[in-house]
Amino acid sequence: MQDNPGLHEFVARLPAALEGCREIILANLVMIGEIPAPTFHEQARIDFLQQRFTESGLQNVSSDEVGNGAAVLPGTEGHKNILVSAHADTPFPATIEHTLSIYPERVIGPGIADNSLGLSMIATLPMLLDFLDIQLRSNLILMGATRSLGRGDLAGLRFFLANSSVPISAGLSVEGVQLGRLDYASQSSIDAEITCRIQVVPGKGAADRSSAVLVLNQMIQRLCQLVRPQDLVLGSIEGGTAFKTPARNAVLRIELQQDSDNKLTELTRSIDAIVEDISAQTGAQLRFDIIARSNAGGLDPQHPLVEHARSIITALGIEPGQGCYSTVASCFNDQGIPGLVIGITEGQHLNQPDEEIEIEPVFRGIAQLIGILMAIDGGCCDGH
Amino acid sequence: MTDIDNWLRSNTFHHSQFWDLKRLVEEKEKQGLLLSLCIPTLNEEKTIGKELVLFKSELMDRYPLLDEIAVIDSGSTDRTLEVAAAFGADVYRSADILPDLGSRLGKGENLWKAIYQLKGDIIVYVDADIKNIHPRFAYGLIAPLIYRPEIKYVKAFYDRPLATSKETRPLGGGRVTEILVRPLFSLFFPELSALVQPLSGEYAVRRELLERLPFPIGYGVETAHLIDTYSAWGLEAIAQTDLDSRVHRNQPTRDLGRMAFGILHAFLTRLRLHGIVSGLPELTTMLRQFQTRADEYEQLLFEISEEERPPMIDVPAYREKRGNMD
Repeated sequence: MQDNPGLHEFVARLPAALEGCREIILANLVMIGEIPAPTFHEQARIDFLQQRFTESGLQNVSSDEVGNGAAVLPGTEGHKNILVSAHADTPFPATIEHTLSIYPERVIGPGIADNSLGLSMIATLPMLLDFLDIQLRSNLILMGATRSLGRGDLAGLRFFLANSSVPISAGLSVEGVQLGRLDYASQSSIDAEITCRIQVVPGKGAADRSSAVLVLNQMIQRLCQLVRPQDLVLGSIEGGTAFKTPARNAVLRIELQQDSDNKLTELTRSIDAIVEDISAQTGAQLRFDIIARSNAGGLDPQHPLVEHARSIITALGIEPGQGCYSTVASCFNDQGIPGLVIGITEGQHLNQPDEEIEIEPVFRGIAQLIGILMAIDGGCCDGH
Repeated sequence: MTDIDNWLRSNTFHHSQFWDLKRLVEEKEKQGLLLSLCIPTLNEEKTIGKELVLFKSELMDRYPLLDEIAVIDSGSTDRTLEVAAAFGADVYRSADILPDLGSRLGKGENLWKAIYQLKGDIIVYVDADIKNIHPRFAYGLIAPLIYRPEIKYVKAFYDRPLATSKETRPLGGGRVTEILVRPLFSLFFPELSALVQPLSGEYAVRRELLERLPFPIGYGVETAHLIDTYSAWGLEAIAQTDLDSRVHRNQPTRDLGRMAFGILHAFLTRLRLHGIVSGLPELTTMLRQFQTRADEYEQLLFEISEEERPPMIDVPAYREKRGNMD
């Protein structure tokens, strides 16, 4: 465990100071959160973010080929570049109402936790550092990342890290929830779709009771026999059109994890074989498509960045989370950049229209973010 | 209609014309103006927090345009007052302002009492039930008053299509506007028909005008304001700003009937006051609506009072507070 009493004492005082910025924090959250941003359609949010960057006097306010919005808050020395990013997209279509409600203790609305709050931190951080009179020696690169969720496959962050014109010493990815999470590694994982299509026998019409849902049910049973429960997420299933008509099309979305890339490759081969087998048995057209993939890897639990971050979290009285895995960590790892994923507050009903976050923990969450930045700025990652 | 055409060109704005808040604040300070935001409320706990956060952050902390933000409440029974206080508004119960003059139930009552309670040279009124609230709802209305001294009253309207062509398309207000207010304006005050949404609840007004307006306490307050301002200062004292879109609660037709009743009451009162019509009977305050239950038909009676408060400048306590304007 890294110990830095001076930094810890300083960081412990930040939450109370940050309460003076509550309206600014919440206002940015609302203005960002009410802009719909389904994956691949984040432009309006990025525009707003860049407007905030410009108002804060940041340099190099820019967009790249995949639509990421980034800017630089120059450090006093500028020898290092620290990236702070948050994904701009949400899982909600633009057609649903994005109105947020603010109460004294919480904010409610679709996407508020995942990841309007995280993105609003990117927009607000320059003002908060200015308010707290904190000047980093390192340059701070602030970025709203596009194309993260689902089929986006973290394309925005991956692109930026692979093509950044400046070397990045360390990266932080900010998520709205949960406070205390400290993800520094990634398992080998894939997001995949298994689609099923039933060809109706000519002349049989409605009399043919073959159902794509039934076929996917077989698929689910075989997956559960093949994969340990902790390595399989049965994310969503949809299909069919009515009560009385058998579903001719259906799709199952899953996430699979393994502790090594080789094991995952083996697993996907086995799933391919199951798909072929069920197709042969039922006559249905089954497809297994990998939508997103992350490699295993990341930092060791004893890496100085992880230890410093953990000590700062603890110093703020935050209960550290149990997990350490995030697919985002693989983006940093793939480029050899020490990186962490942190959460800002507590929340619930994640990815539901009534998603909500608590306001009071936000101040500790921001203090944690600033504390980790100061630790990196102080050299905790240097030489690692 | 030339006057209307000229007015539409010179006194109709879009909020995007006033995006430069830094310049707006500089101009406000140069003129030494005090600006107050008033949000009248009645059970608005779901939306009031967001409104206050946005206005305070953007128009007080970041750009010091507003000098005070006040919530004037008609007696909410939900958490409206608690939420408003938690987000830093000056919170007043309408009944506690000028208590010697009694208390009436109605939005107009809150707006009227705000003139006494608030300190601004300009007061901007914004309803509390706007779901897509944005700072433009205040600065878009204030800015014409700051940049154009001859304008005294700025009304909001909402119209921003996602796509436009060279073709014409209708501009309009809500149902009550289009089937009641605009036809009435067209008949009796044709120039006022150019107000796209005369009933919108968002407007900014100079105190020098506001304190001279009588206030219907109910639904007729907006219509009365326009007629009285127009009659005393002419169309050139009025402007309107397009604030794009406004998302708010949709009201059932029966409620709109009550609104129309109140508006008509205020309108007819003004026709009589200005000598435009004579011989009107004493206007009833009772609206009759009907419903069926099983095979019975029932009459529903609604008392809709359109009592009017006098111009604030005629209230002695106000004159005393403002430094005795005799």
